[in-house]
Amino acid sequence: MTRGSNPGPWQSPEMTRRLARRHAAEKRFRLFGMGAIGLSLAFLALLLVIMLKNGLGGLDWSFLSGSDSTDPSLAGVWGATKGSFLTMVVTLALSFPMGVLAAIYLEEFAPRNRWVDWIEVSINNLAAVPSIIFGLLGLAVFINTFHLPRSSPVVGGLTLALMTMPVIVISGRNAIKAVPPSIRDAALAIGASRVQTVFHHVLPLALPGILTGTIIGMARALGETAPLLMIGMRAFVASPPQGFTDPSSVLPMQIFLWSDEIDRAFVVNTSAAIIVLLVFLLAMNGLAIYLRNKFEVRW
Amino acid sequence: MIGFIVLAAVLGLGLVGWFSARTRARLLYTGRGSLHSTPGYHGWHMALWIVIPALLAFATWSSIEPGLIETSVMSDPAAAALPAGDMERESILAEAHVIAANPGTAAFNPLSAQLAEPMRAAQSRFDLIGAALVVLFAFAGGGYGFTRIRAGFPARTRVERGVMLLLLAASLMAILTTFGIIASLVFEAGMFFRDVSPLDFLTGLHWAPANAVGDDLSSNFGAVPLFWGTIYIGAIIAMLVAIPLGLMSAIYLTQYASPRLRRWLKPALEILAGVPTVVYGYFAALTVAPLIRDFAAAMGAENPSTESALAAGLVMGVMIIPFVSSMADDSIAAVPQAMRDGSLAMGATKSETIKRVLLPAALPGIVAGVMLAISRAIGETMIVVMAAGAAARLSLNPFESMTTVTYQIVQLLTGDQEFNSPKTLSAFALGLVLFIVTLILNIIALRVVKRFREAYD
Repeated sequence: MTRGSNPGPWQSPEMTRRLARRHAAEKRFRLFGMGAIGLSLAFLALLLVIMLKNGLGGLDWSFLSGSDSTDPSLAGVWGATKGSFLTMVVTLALSFPMGVLAAIYLEEFAPRNRWVDWIEVSINNLAAVPSIIFGLLGLAVFINTFHLPRSSPVVGGLTLALMTMPVIVISGRNAIKAVPPSIRDAALAIGASRVQTVFHHVLPLALPGILTGTIIGMARALGETAPLLMIGMRAFVASPPQGFTDPSSVLPMQIFLWSDEIDRAFVVNTSAAIIVLLVFLLAMNGLAIYLRNKFEVRW
Repeated sequence: MIGFIVLAAVLGLGLVGWFSARTRARLLYTGRGSLHSTPGYHGWHMALWIVIPALLAFATWSSIEPGLIETSVMSDPAAAALPAGDMERESILAEAHVIAANPGTAAFNPLSAQLAEPMRAAQSRFDLIGAALVVLFAFAGGGYGFTRIRAGFPARTRVERGVMLLLLAASLMAILTTFGIIASLVFEAGMFFRDVSPLDFLTGLHWAPANAVGDDLSSNFGAVPLFWGTIYIGAIIAMLVAIPLGLMSAIYLTQYASPRLRRWLKPALEILAGVPTVVYGYFAALTVAPLIRDFAAAMGAENPSTESALAAGLVMGVMIIPFVSSMADDSIAAVPQAMRDGSLAMGATKSETIKRVLLPAALPGIVAGVMLAISRAIGETMIVVMAAGAAARLSLNPFESMTTVTYQIVQLLTGDQEFNSPKTLSAFALGLVLFIVTLILNIIALRVVKRFREAYD
C-alpha cells in the first residue's frame, strides 16, 4: 500500500534507498545464478582433474592392450574395450533400423487411432524407465526364457538395444518432423508414391538429425552399467572375447569391478579406465555435434 | 557357426535374385508404359520372396533345434545314467554342450564327456537338416517370385505393402517391450507374493533377506526401509542439490548470459549429464564419501561410516542438475514474451520479473521437470551401489549409510543364487514397485508438460 499511495519525489532519500536495495537484490540474484552454474562446472572440473591425476600415470601401452588380471600392474582394458565394441555392434544393428523404421511409421504413415496412441505412450515411457528395469527384463526374457549365453555381448547388446530404441525413435521423429511439407508435396506432385516420397526424399534429409540422435543414444548405452550387471556381465574375464557369445566384460563394468578391489594399485587402473571411457564418449559426442553443425539444414 | 554361413547364403541368394529379376524385367521393357513397375521393384519383390521365407524358416528351426537335439541325446544309451534331478541333469547337459562345441575341454563330470560325442553328432546332423530346409525355403520363395515377373505385375505396390508391414512391426516393438517388462515383472513378483504377503512386503519395517529361510519369510521382507532410503537419497537430498542449482543455472543461462556465453556454458553443463553413472559412483566413493566422513567426524559423530546417504545423494544431485536445468529452460522459454515485457514496462527489475512473473507462470513445467528428475533419481543404480551402503535402516541422519531399492535389486541378483528362491524373486517385486512409481511420475509429468504447452500456445 505504502508504495503506491505516496511515491514521493524520485530524489527523496527514502526512494533512493529503496532503489539501491532493489538494485542490490538484482545483483545478488545474478550472482546466485553465476554461482550455481559455476558450482556445477567446478564439480565437473574437480571430477575430471581427480581422474586425470590418478589415472594418467597408469595409461600406457600394456594397459591399453592387456585384459583383466588379478595383478593390477598387468591388468588392462583391451578385453573390456573389445567387449564394449561387440556389445555396441549388436545394439546398433538392432536399435538403429528398428528405431528409424518406427519413427518413419509414427511420423509419416500412422493413422490416428488408439493403437498408435498406445505405441506413442509406451515409447515415451520406455525412454524414462530406469535402466535397471531393462536389466530385469533381459534377465527374465533373454537368459531365463531363451537361455542365451549369460554374460555375453549378444545378451548385453539386445538389452541395451531395447533401451536405446526409444531414444532413436524420439530423435528420429523430431528430425523427420523438421523436414518441411513442401518437400513431400513436391515429390507427391510429380507422381512418387508415399513410400517413395519418404525413402527417396524425406529420409535422406532427416538422416543427419537421426544420426545425431543415434550417436547420443549409443553414447548413453556405452556408459551404461546397471542393466548389464543384471544379466551377469560382471564375470572375471581374463582374455578378450572372441565372438558375440563369449563371456565378456564391458568398459563401465570393468571400472565397477576394479573399484571394488581392495588393493590401492587398482585406483590407478580404475581412473585410467575412466579416462579411456570418457575419451570414447567425448569422441562420440564430438562427432554428433560435428554432424549436426555440418549437415543440419535450417529450413 | 553354421548359422552364420546359412544367413550369409540366404543374403547371397537374395542378391542373386535381385539382379536376375531386375535383368529379366528389363528385357520385358519395350517402351514407355510397357511395365507397371520399374525393374528395380521387380528385383526387390524377388529378393523379399527369397529372404523372408528363408529367415522365418531359420528362426523357427533355431527355436526347435535344441529340443530335437536333447531328444536325440536322451535316446543315447549313456543318457540312461543321467540323474533324475532337474538341476544336475541340466548342468551335465550344459557341460556336454560346451565340450561338444570346444573339443578338448576338460570335463568336470565324466558323464558329460560321454554325452559330448552323441551331442556333437546330433548337433551337426540337425544343423545340416536345418540348413537344407532354409535353403529349400529360399529357393521355393525365389521360384514363386520369379514366375511373377510379368509386364503388368504390380511389383511396386507389393513391395510397398511389405515395407508398410515392416514399419508397423518395428513400431509394435515398443509395445512388445513394455509388455515384456510388465509381464516378466508381474510374473516373477507374483511368484514372490505367493510366499510373502504383499501387505507385509509394502508395510514391513524389517529387511533381511539373508535370514529368510523356512516358514517365517514375511517378517524378513519388509521393504519400508528401502523405500525410505530411496526417497531420502533420491527425492530429498539429491533434489535439495539439483533444484536450486539447476533452476538458477537455467535462469542465468536464459535471462542473463549473453548468447556467446550461453553457447559455451550450455554444452559444458550438458557434459555433466553425459558422464556415465559408474564414473559418478566411483567419484562419490573415492573422493566425496571420505570428505563427508571426515566432516562428520569433525562434527563429533562417533565412528562415521565411509558410505553415507549424503555422499550418494549429493553426487546424484549434481548428476541431475543438467536435467532440471534443461526442463526449467524449456518451461521458462515457453512463457509468452508479452508477460515479461509487461512486467519490465511497469518498472520491475529483471530479478523481480523472474521471481514474480516468469517463475510462477513457468511453475507447472518446472514441477513436471522436477517429477521427471525424481523418477530418474530413484531409478539410479550405480551411484548408490558404490556409495550408499547396504544397511537397511530407517534414519534421518544423512551421515549414516542407507540402502535403496535399486541397490537391493543388484545385491539380490548378483550373488550365486538359484533362480526361484524368494530372495531372488523379491528383486523382481522391488523392480515392479520401482517401475510402477516411475511410471506414475512420468505419466503425470508428461501430461502436465503437454497441458502447460497448450496453455501458452
